[in-house]
Amino acid sequence: MGPLDELGHHIEELLKDLGGMDMFNFGWGSITTYSVWIIIALVVCLVVFLVVKSRMRLVPKMGPVAAIEATVDYIRKDIGHGVLGSKEAVDRHMPFIFTVFFFILGANLIGLIPGAKAASGTFSATLVLALISFIYFNYYGIKHSGVLHYVKNIAPAGIMPGLNIAVWLIELMSLCLRLVTLSVRLFANMYAGHIVLGAFSILTTLFVFPVINEFTLANLAQGSVSIAWMVLLIAMYAMELLVAFIQAYVFSLLSAVYVMLATSEH
Amino acid sequence: MEIAGSLSVIGYGLSVIGAGVGVGLSALGATQAQARQPEMQSKIFTTFIMGCAFSEALALIGFVLALIK
Repeated sequence: MGPLDELGHHIEELLKDLGGMDMFNFGWGSITTYSVWIIIALVVCLVVFLVVKSRMRLVPKMGPVAAIEATVDYIRKDIGHGVLGSKEAVDRHMPFIFTVFFFILGANLIGLIPGAKAASGTFSATLVLALISFIYFNYYGIKHSGVLHYVKNIAPAGIMPGLNIAVWLIELMSLCLRLVTLSVRLFANMYAGHIVLGAFSILTTLFVFPVINEFTLANLAQGSVSIAWMVLLIAMYAMELLVAFIQAYVFSLLSAVYVMLATSEH
Repeated sequence: MEIAGSLSVIGYGLSVIGAGVGVGLSALGATQAQARQPEMQSKIFTTFIMGCAFSEALALIGFVLALIK
């Protein structure tokens, strides 16, 4: 009895929906719903920035343009000057960091619109993002100090011989684990957040259905619980709004830190 | 009352303990550092977010392992 009986069935449906499905199958690959949401996120980012670029003034008015300028300024100050340091490094690496930041932010925010999916809520997409970041910082590390020197410098200098081989192996493993942690962090945050939001909205509807079907006092008492679920849903939604920003920030911050570590002198 | 489910959920709970302690400790350090040096706030915040991200990753790996059946 009770609305909670159907919860498991609905959650299973939610998970299946979040898993994504094929829209066109070519045999060697397919366009899934998530591919479409990635393209939508890219197009939205492109349009927003083209519009912002055409509206730029020396003294910005209040509104979306000023908001984006403030975000860019904050990222440049915090990640650029805070982590990368020197002016050349900021000029060289910030375009990449900004691209990653605004794509992930756009994808996360689009995912918060009811009915839409976050492009970053699937593991393949975040794995590719992490792979791009991984290749980027390794490329600049090798370009900075040469292949041999870069490979040797994976382990910090000044460790006694014999032990430094073990340290080098451990550091190599942690270098490769960056790929996993970068992608899993973004994916799991978005996926878990969407499951929680979905579960709370399912609970809200499950508890309010008996009231709609048959308006009795007992049903009304049970249905009033859905107000509590609704409040929780709104609170979690605000939380997810925060997470959307923080995860985009964390991904670009860690990319910048890895670039900084790869290109710094040992 | 019948208890059903898999052991992976308990594994997820265990992995959260460590991450919770880690995030709590970094928040403790960040608040104390900010109380001592309020002018360093933005730099401390960046470091705090980074520390959270590193310790959180362990819990999230636990979450993903709990989903794999």
